[in-house]
Amino acid sequence: MQWINKWKGAASTKLAGLLIALFFAWFIVSFLIYPNVNLLKTTFIIDGSLSLEAVNKLVSSSRAVQSLINSFLLAVSLVMTVNIVGIFLVLVMNYFDIKGIRVLSLGYYTTLIYSGVVLVAGYKFLYGEQGFLTNLLAGIFPGFDTGWFTGYGAVLFVMTFAITSNHVIFLSNAIKKVDYQTIEAAKSMGASDFYIIRRVVLPALKPTIFAVTILIFLIGLSATSAPLIVGGQEFQTINPMILTFAKSVTSRDIAAILSIVLGIATMVLLMFMQRMENNGNFISVSKVKSTIKKQKIENKWANALVHIAAYLLFVIYALPVVLIIIFSFTDTFSIENATLALDHFTLDNYLLLFTDFSAFRPYFISIAYSAASAFIVVMITLLVSRILQRHKNIYTQLLEYSMMIPWLLPSTLIALGLILTYDKPNSLLGNQVLTGSVWMLLVAYIIVQLPFTLRMLKAAFFTIDHSLEEAAKNLGASSMYTFRRILLPVILPSTLAVMVLNFNNMLADYDLTVFLFQPLLEPLGIVIKSSTDPQASTDAKALMLVYSVVLMVISSVALYFVYGRKSK
Amino acid sequence: MIEFKNVQINYGDFVAVKNLNLNVREREFFTLLGPSGCGKTTTLRSLVGFVHPSQGEIFLNGENITSLPVEKREVSMVFQSYALFPTLDVYENIAFGLKVKKVPKQEIDREVRDMAAKVDLSEEQLKKKVSELSGGQQQRVAIARALVLKPRILVLDEPLSNLDARLRVQLRRELKNLQKQFGITAIYVTHDQEEALTLSDRIAVFNKGVVEQVGTPKEIYSHSETEFVCNFIGDINRLETPVVKELNEQMGGGYLEHDRHYVRMERVHTRQWQGGKEASVLKLTGRVEDAEFYGVYTKYSFLVNGTVIKNIEREDGRAPHNIGDEVDIYIDIHDVMTYRERHSYAVDQ
Repeated sequence: MQWINKWKGAASTKLAGLLIALFFAWFIVSFLIYPNVNLLKTTFIIDGSLSLEAVNKLVSSSRAVQSLINSFLLAVSLVMTVNIVGIFLVLVMNYFDIKGIRVLSLGYYTTLIYSGVVLVAGYKFLYGEQGFLTNLLAGIFPGFDTGWFTGYGAVLFVMTFAITSNHVIFLSNAIKKVDYQTIEAAKSMGASDFYIIRRVVLPALKPTIFAVTILIFLIGLSATSAPLIVGGQEFQTINPMILTFAKSVTSRDIAAILSIVLGIATMVLLMFMQRMENNGNFISVSKVKSTIKKQKIENKWANALVHIAAYLLFVIYALPVVLIIIFSFTDTFSIENATLALDHFTLDNYLLLFTDFSAFRPYFISIAYSAASAFIVVMITLLVSRILQRHKNIYTQLLEYSMMIPWLLPSTLIALGLILTYDKPNSLLGNQVLTGSVWMLLVAYIIVQLPFTLRMLKAAFFTIDHSLEEAAKNLGASSMYTFRRILLPVILPSTLAVMVLNFNNMLADYDLTVFLFQPLLEPLGIVIKSSTDPQASTDAKALMLVYSVVLMVISSVALYFVYGRKSK
Repeated sequence: MIEFKNVQINYGDFVAVKNLNLNVREREFFTLLGPSGCGKTTTLRSLVGFVHPSQGEIFLNGENITSLPVEKREVSMVFQSYALFPTLDVYENIAFGLKVKKVPKQEIDREVRDMAAKVDLSEEQLKKKVSELSGGQQQRVAIARALVLKPRILVLDEPLSNLDARLRVQLRRELKNLQKQFGITAIYVTHDQEEALTLSDRIAVFNKGVVEQVGTPKEIYSHSETEFVCNFIGDINRLETPVVKELNEQMGGGYLEHDRHYVRMERVHTRQWQGGKEASVLKLTGRVEDAEFYGVYTKYSFLVNGTVIKNIEREDGRAPHNIGDEVDIYIDIHDVMTYRERHSYAVDQ
């Protein structure tokens, strides 16, 4: 009797293992590999033979070529501007002794709670044609060009301040880890403030700066909402072009090849980064580190200059946020004319959001997609992490690498691959058409979140003391019981944190969403983008403000949940 | 009670434990001692069932347990990190194994409280998170969690290694007392020779997957069977050729110059002592080269016939040596341990 039970048990675990393996094989082929391969195939193979017609079409389209040039121009410019601003911010926040830095930091942190399309919309609200600041300037200088905030300069300006988040997070962490004793040692040898920064502090930060630079370059290359909203006719980059070309069937191949170019650039850069990380990392030799102390700038003029720059940056960062919040409490008249008057303040916009379902609808749709995808991704990656932790062989390696594929590819390419592959019935999906369906966006959201989630959860799993599992086994617990009672509770906090971050990231996504959303279910990012169109109604603009404020609140809560409580 | 019979354990091509034969008696505190990578932990884990021998068999009370799964062996383990479950409180940690066995709730409660009382954990401590306990309390929880299942054997894998020195000594005493109180057979793994000497009834010294010597702490220390054991345990002097020549001169031969001769530091005397018969005592003269003061004792280095011999002298208030002093040195030849060049075995006595 007992051996039958045992046999049954063993057989059922085997069966479960087989089912899981089959599921992952199907998932990886259907969503991570085949669409991307198919994209290449449909672009380069016409009527069964290799064809470079798409390349020819690309080269002969001056708009497409221009967009490529623009993207690289933007990426290179951003590398410089963002590093200058970003490193300055990090030094001001962590290294120099600056008066009022606590308040200033709040301003610099704003990009953490609003980014992407929401941020660009906010800048347009301030600097755009009917923007608050533009109105103000036009009032002071008659004949001021109200259309000033457009093109290369505008895109560069918006994006420079939009993507310093990486510096504020990663570089700040790195500078806090600089061994203060090395700074004191340099001082004792008579080095000046700026000499120390140049020769001691920045070299220690070099690996982080390098990694952040690569990220900036990639963000610059794949810029979407900034050029779309403030780029105007003359400055469009790759992604907006792909969007335009993808809309018509005849030019889809140009869209595809553009996305492939973007993909190749991304892969080359990421591999380059990986290589540099593998062999170029310096290791601090100090055993007893002391934490960094704020440095007072000795030179009076330099001190004043740094203070002025710090406060100016604060204004640039804080102004859009403050104005969005203020104007979200005003009526349509104020929003339309970008003027403020006490008797025009109202709560109507908020009331509308919470009483009128059509106003709340985009929120509802975005929350549903983000929450569902965040949950499913965590479920999948938990399973993968557990498999990776328990087994190490060629299949699990393959599984891990496959899960990381979306990290190598720009989301535009992933989106196009899905669109082109599943716009007709396909046996992989039981002959269902995915393109244009409600499910498309969910699938894409899941795909793009996989790499980050897997990295985090795998790390969480691997930091668990292995003897916990052995102890449970020694006390007689089965592997499932151990997972449920011991391991899961241990990694639950990081799991929830990753889930919240994922949810927050996707909530107002535009860049990926715009390719895939079901037209009847417009998510938040899409609605916010449309509110920046010149023909958008004032009501739409008012709602955009409210959407943005609520998003900021949600992001703040999310970030507090993830990071804030830990520091206590 | 426990018997390892011709056990060999491989990790791939690497032989971690080679042809192991070992007997552990009932209620014994038995220590596996050796440097890291010597196979002691692997041996322990094979007893628990985490690793499987590629050859040989393990018996427990005459029963062959070589292929028995971990949970059926009734061997409980205390881990190096204690491996207390951080998300469960102290009570739940101790109750874990009983709960897995589906023991009725009241019985679990009775057993847990009973065990907690025995290891001196209070009612309030049972409700605490494990992270709120001190190192000593954590050790008691780990032991309670292991013992509540009434195992046949308790195995401990370097449970004191990541504690600071003072706590280590205190917990060592506590551990020994608990083992005596429960009267359980304990297998203990450590690389710390002092720990092994103070705790154990018997010790097995491991080196490169092979047991070099099994014996009581005194046997291991004073009559090390191999050169490795004699070097691994305690500080020791190797007698260089000029001293060996002197030895042969005074004792009338018998000490081969190409053999290796050792004498423990505390067996090197600078005062003629009472017990030893004159005939068996070697007398040397040396000059004090260096002195390291440790408080309780001082470690001296003497230059003897061009070679260095060290000893330790208790700081008992008697006149100390000064650097440069000429000092008489006495060594009882019974304290000299000799090993042949290749086959290292003892030829003293």
